[in-house]
This record gives sequence, C-alpha cells and structure tokens, in this order.
Amino acid sequence: MNMQVNPQELTLDPAPLLSVAGVSRFYGERIGCADVSFDLWPGEVLGIVGESGSGKSTLLRCLAGIDRPDAGQVLFRGGAEPLDIYSVAEQERRRLMRTAWGIVHQNPRDGLRMDVSAGGNVGERLMDNGARHYRKIREAALDWLQRVEIAAGRIDDRPRQFSGGMQQRLQIARVLVSEPRLVFMDEPTGGLDVSVQARLLDLLRVLVRDLGLAAIIVTHDLAVARLLTDRLMVMKDGHVVEQGLTDQVLDDPHHAYTQLLTSAVLTV
Amino acid sequence: MTLHQSITEDTKPAYNYAYLDEQTKRMIRRALLKAVAVPGYQVPFGSREMPLARGWGTGGIQVTAAIIGPDDTLKVIDQGADDTTNAVSIRRFFERTADARTTEATEEATIIQTRHRIPEAPLKAGQIMVYQVPQPEPLRKLEPHEAETRKMHAWAEYGLMQVKLYENIARFGEVTTTYDYPVMVNGRYVMAPSPIPKFDNPKMQMSPALQLFGAGREKRIYAVPPHTSVRSLDFEDHPFRIQSWNEPCALCAAADSYLDEVVIDDQGARMFVCSDSHHCETRRAEGHRGAMLADASALHLVEDEAKP
Amino acid sequence: MTTMIHVENVAKEFTLHNQGGVRLPVFDNVDFTVAAGEALVLAGASGAGKSSLLRILYGNYRPTSGRIVITHAGRPVDIVSAVPRTVLDIRRRTLGFVSQFLRVIPRVSALDIVRDPLLARGVSPEEASERAKAMLARLNLPQRLWELAPATFSGGEQQRVNIARSFVDPSPIMLIDEPTASLDAGNRDVVVGLIAEAREQGSAIVGIFHDEAVRESVATRYLDITEFRKAA
Repeated sequence: MNMQVNPQELTLDPAPLLSVAGVSRFYGERIGCADVSFDLWPGEVLGIVGESGSGKSTLLRCLAGIDRPDAGQVLFRGGAEPLDIYSVAEQERRRLMRTAWGIVHQNPRDGLRMDVSAGGNVGERLMDNGARHYRKIREAALDWLQRVEIAAGRIDDRPRQFSGGMQQRLQIARVLVSEPRLVFMDEPTGGLDVSVQARLLDLLRVLVRDLGLAAIIVTHDLAVARLLTDRLMVMKDGHVVEQGLTDQVLDDPHHAYTQLLTSAVLTV
Repeated sequence: MTLHQSITEDTKPAYNYAYLDEQTKRMIRRALLKAVAVPGYQVPFGSREMPLARGWGTGGIQVTAAIIGPDDTLKVIDQGADDTTNAVSIRRFFERTADARTTEATEEATIIQTRHRIPEAPLKAGQIMVYQVPQPEPLRKLEPHEAETRKMHAWAEYGLMQVKLYENIARFGEVTTTYDYPVMVNGRYVMAPSPIPKFDNPKMQMSPALQLFGAGREKRIYAVPPHTSVRSLDFEDHPFRIQSWNEPCALCAAADSYLDEVVIDDQGARMFVCSDSHHCETRRAEGHRGAMLADASALHLVEDEAKP
Repeated sequence: MTTMIHVENVAKEFTLHNQGGVRLPVFDNVDFTVAAGEALVLAGASGAGKSSLLRILYGNYRPTSGRIVITHAGRPVDIVSAVPRTVLDIRRRTLGFVSQFLRVIPRVSALDIVRDPLLARGVSPEEASERAKAMLARLNLPQRLWELAPATFSGGEQQRVNIARSFVDPSPIMLIDEPTASLDAGNRDVVVGLIAEAREQGSAIVGIFHDEAVRESVATRYLDITEFRKAA
C-alpha cells in the first residue's frame, strides 16, 4: 500500500507558540537542566514530571523568564514578531510577564499581594496594562472571582483571610485576568488537601480548555499530570529521559526511570 | 566666596558660606541639574551630616545651602506657619551662615523652604520652592525593594500605584490619601510631592517657580522645572479632588485656602483657620474679617489690626 | 468501502527495566485493514494481547515496530509516528475508545460528561443537551442521576455513562473493549444496538467482546490474535 502519511498540511497551527532549543542551566559543576528542546503549540498543556531535584523547577524558571539559562534559546511567538526572551531587554520580558504570560506559584504568597484586597490583586494586571476606570476594573475582578468560585462578597477581603485553596484560586484569577496565551504553573496543587486539590484541578481543567490556554505545568503528582496535561516530559538528573503523549508515557513507559515512577504510585 | 574665618573676637567656629563646603555644594548642584533635566526622577546624592537630626529637614537645608547666595531672600515655613520652632531655627541658621535676608512674605522671597505646605499666594517666575522630603519613594510602601522600585520607575510600571488608589476607593469609597498624594510629573515619573496636603497638588501643575526636593536621610534629590505638568493620579470615574471646608477661615474669611482645625478652649470649642499664617495675616491687614476674629483677638491668640 | 485502519507489520514487546530488563514479546507481524462499516472482533485467548492491540490502535501503547495508518479527515496519518497534538486531534475527531471504565472527573455531572464530545465537535449546547439526555434515557440511567457527578455511581451506572458518552456521536472509528462486562441483559442489548447503528452509519469498529452472544451479533469479521503470537 503506497500512501503519503503525515503530510505537512495536517499541521493545525502555523507555528508553535513556544520553541525551546538546547536550554541548559548549571550550578557550578552541578547540572540544573541540560539541553532541553521542545515546541509547545497554542492550546497545548505540557507536563514536566520528575522527583524533587530532577531539574523540573529549574527548567520552569528558565522557560518562564525568571532565570537566564547558561545556554539555549526560548522563543515566544505570541505577538507580531517572535521574541527571543533572553535576548530582548528586561523591560520587554517584564511586559510579557504582565500580559501574554502568567506564572502560578506553588505557594500563593509568592504570587499574591497579601496586603491588597482580592479585587486589587485581580485588578493589578489590568492597571499594569493601563486600565484607569475604577468601575470597569472592579467588574472585571468580580467576573474573575466568580469564575474561580470566590463569592462576590469577598472582593474587598485580603488574601490572608482566605483558605489555602481560595488563595490559590485567587492567584489563578490574578494571572488569567490579562488573558495570557501561556501560563506556567509550579506544583499548582502542592500543599493543598486532597479534596481541595480536586476542586482546583477541575477548575484548572475547565479554564484551560475554555480559554484555549497553552500551559506548562511542573508537578511530581502523576494524577495531576494525567488530568491536566496533553503531553509529558519526564526529567531525571536534569535530563529529559522520556517524552510523549501523557497517556502513552504513563501507560506504556519505555524508560527505566519512568517505569519506576509510574509503578511507584498506587493508582493514577 | 565669602569665608567666615571669625578668628578675632567672634566666638563662631570657622565654616564655609552657607555651612557646606564648596565641593559638597558642587556635588549637590550637579545632582540638582540632573534632577531638573529629568523632571520627577530621583537623583542619589551624598547627603551630609547637618547640625540637626536627619528627618528634621536636612535634605531641604542642603538644597537651600547649595543654591542660596547673598542676594537671596529666604522664607521658611513649617506646617504653613513661619513662626514654628523648626521654621525659625532654619531661618536663623541661614541668617547666620549665609548672611541671608529672611522674610515671611511669600511674594518677597526668592527661596522658600517648606515642610508640609505650598503658600497660598501664587508663586512667580524666578522663585524657588525647596521641599523637605522624609520619604522620596512613592512606591516604597507598596514595594520594599529598592532594586525593584528603580526598575518600576525606569520602565514606568506604575500599575501598583494605581492598585493603592483602587484599594482606597474599594475600602472607603474614595481615595483617602490626603497628603503626599502621588503625582505624575511630565507624563513620565510618578513622584512623591512630599507631605503637603493634596490641596496643594494643583499648585505644582505648570507652576512658574522652580521646585526642588531634598531627602537628607534617604539621600535623594528631585525636581520639577517651571511650567511642567504635574498631574495627581486618579481614575477616570473617580477624578482627583482637593479638600474643601464648609466654612471660611474664622480669622480672615478666606474661602479658598487650606484650613487647620484649632481647639481654642478646654470645652472643645474649635475654629478653622488658614494654615498659611502669612496669607491669613496679609488678608486681615487688608481688612478681611472672619467670624471669630474678635474673640481670638480678645484671647490674645492673634492681633486684630482693625481694633482701635 | 473506505479503508479506515491499515495495520502494517506491527510488533509489540514490553521491556521491564526494573525487573532485570526482562522482555515480554506480545505479538509480531500484525497486518490487517478495517473498512468503514465493518466490525472486526478480536479473538484469542486471554493474555494473547487483544487489549494491547486495541491500545496501540488508539495511540496509547507505542508499538515496537510497524505503522498504523488511520484515515483522518480524509487523509492517511500514521498514528505511531504522529506528533502528540496530531494524535489528540485524531482522537477528537476520528478515533473513539470505549472501555468498561469511566474516568471520573471531579464535580462534572453525568449529563455534562455525555454532552462534552458534542460540544467539542461544535454542536450547539441546546442540541447537545437534548441528544445527551436521549442517550442516557436509552441506556436506562435514572433521570435523578443525570445532574450528579458519577463518582458515587455503581459500576454498571458509571459504565453506562461512559457508553453514552462514546455513542452520543459515534466516531468514524470506534475501538471497543468489553463494553458490556457488568451490564444486565436489557442494557447489553441496548449497547449491541448502539454498536450496530454506529456501524450502519459507517463507523469502522474494532472490538473485544467476551460475551459470545454479543460477539456473534456485532461481528462482521474476526481476527485471531493468537496467530501473530511471537514464538517465545
């Protein structure tokens, strides 16, 4: 049978949203992450899994523009021109982080202003981007609080008065209000009770789908990876040892380390 | 350069004209020039020890010392008044060290060093306002890291400042900041106008006078050159507003000046009077009479010029 | 009829690295095609690799060698070498997998689970709801359960939600793994009817059915996996 398979025209989008080439970060002699390359397409959710110390958080920091890698390139195609995020001025990188990018930290205290009300936290990115109409900012904040299931009556409360799960949902609203194209999440459900995790995961799943977000999620929890991600990269000692479709990697792991990782959990 | 050697019968110690040595003055003048060139930008300078504690106006005094000359006439106000301790000491300091003529009349002064107020009388071209600044960084309470606030200024990332105003309106229905109300200078830098009441903010807008700001403890100098835009931050649907009072000044009947509340007896009786003492006196001299002028005069709180 | 699946020289072997690198060969040289409107039933003893083959067809397991060409949106695509997002697109539009297990998602109601594939394919919310309700009714799921999340449902109820989700809008290719395992006779007949309808509407079907009667009424063709069993 003579068939032309996997022709180029099957490509759904003209170009990847994020192209990562040869990203490496070293701490002296020690490898943080080494020679990581991949493309991320609009609407795709990529999981990075591995044990603590595997380099997944280091990689995320390099990808998210927080830590400059020692080698490699991170190219973002969210605007008119592709942006090499480590060759542009810091100002441009910061602008990107307030607009087309979002970072959800594991600890909500790292991503929220604890002395500013919930509404102010959500409205900040809008004001960063020039919004100067109080009522409109407040309406947008209310809309987002409702989307992350925080009661409208809490809009003027400070995050300190919120539970851990609510703080995390608030952090997500604060990031998503600027309608980013790409969101980085570092253990977004870490430190939360299992029941609270489930709610947050479901919320994230729905938001990611409805907004068509591309996301990179670092987690050590394979169940989180299974529920939220399309693709998976497995990291060990700073290297990507296996990658592919999430269910392929989890159900038919090929690398010894991935087999160990998937057999170490009871059910995923 | 006038040196006060004073080695003979005078017991004054030897010091340079206007107290600071010439090198220091030059350094401060260079910082001032840079500040004028970049309106609203905080220029670091090598703040010196002065013969009073930091936080008592050492920044303003150093700026005044660097610009004052024998032809200048100096006015010093503190809380709007010319006769408060701090104002009197600073005025005396420059009388002694710089042979300065001093005045309480706003229109006669060439240099007006101030804490907390801008005079009510309109400023003129050629006059210089010198503000004493405790905290030059308007973003400091919001962002404690200096490295970060510098970046925020460098790239005009002022969303956070707006968040502060948002918080005020959300909590109290209006912006409750009443003094040191942040301004945008020349459409570029957000600046702390020093702890003047927001009532005075509009006086900075396009002022014909040169405005210099000195923060001694924080080692920063900044400036607003004449005829520069100074806009108070606000929201489109919550525009900036100045304070207003229900009654005019109890002494001079001024309806358009900034009033202080003064308790006049131990029964809790009070009156509202001009904070700018010179302005109030001038108006009274012109025959303006407030509702409580006679009573206040009877208590020897003020002199009633019209009294026989 | 259009060829929907073309399996060419597929082999599968598991290597268990953490058990001394032991190799478990499953099958070798698998070749077959399935056309639209056909129902191919995989036969062979338990452990012959029927489920593994089904998972390979879905792109869930990766074959050791060979290729599997799926007719996707009118074009042939090798699902083995396709990039993840292409595989996901094939699954979204062409390839459905029906298992006896429902992957329960927290807080999502049975009705929403069934509606979801319709919405993903652009059906209006109103129409999607109507069709989802009709399908749940046909599978005899009590109406009081529709708005509830199936986490607390019985095994049989969860299974019927899963089947409803799969057949509410049958994919051009349906991979079916033991769909009737814990269903009563009445519901089993409903499922057999759904499979037949999907096939008559042109779906290509590959399935594993333990129940003899179900197998007989569904199959248009059989493939015995045992013949590809690698000589170990």
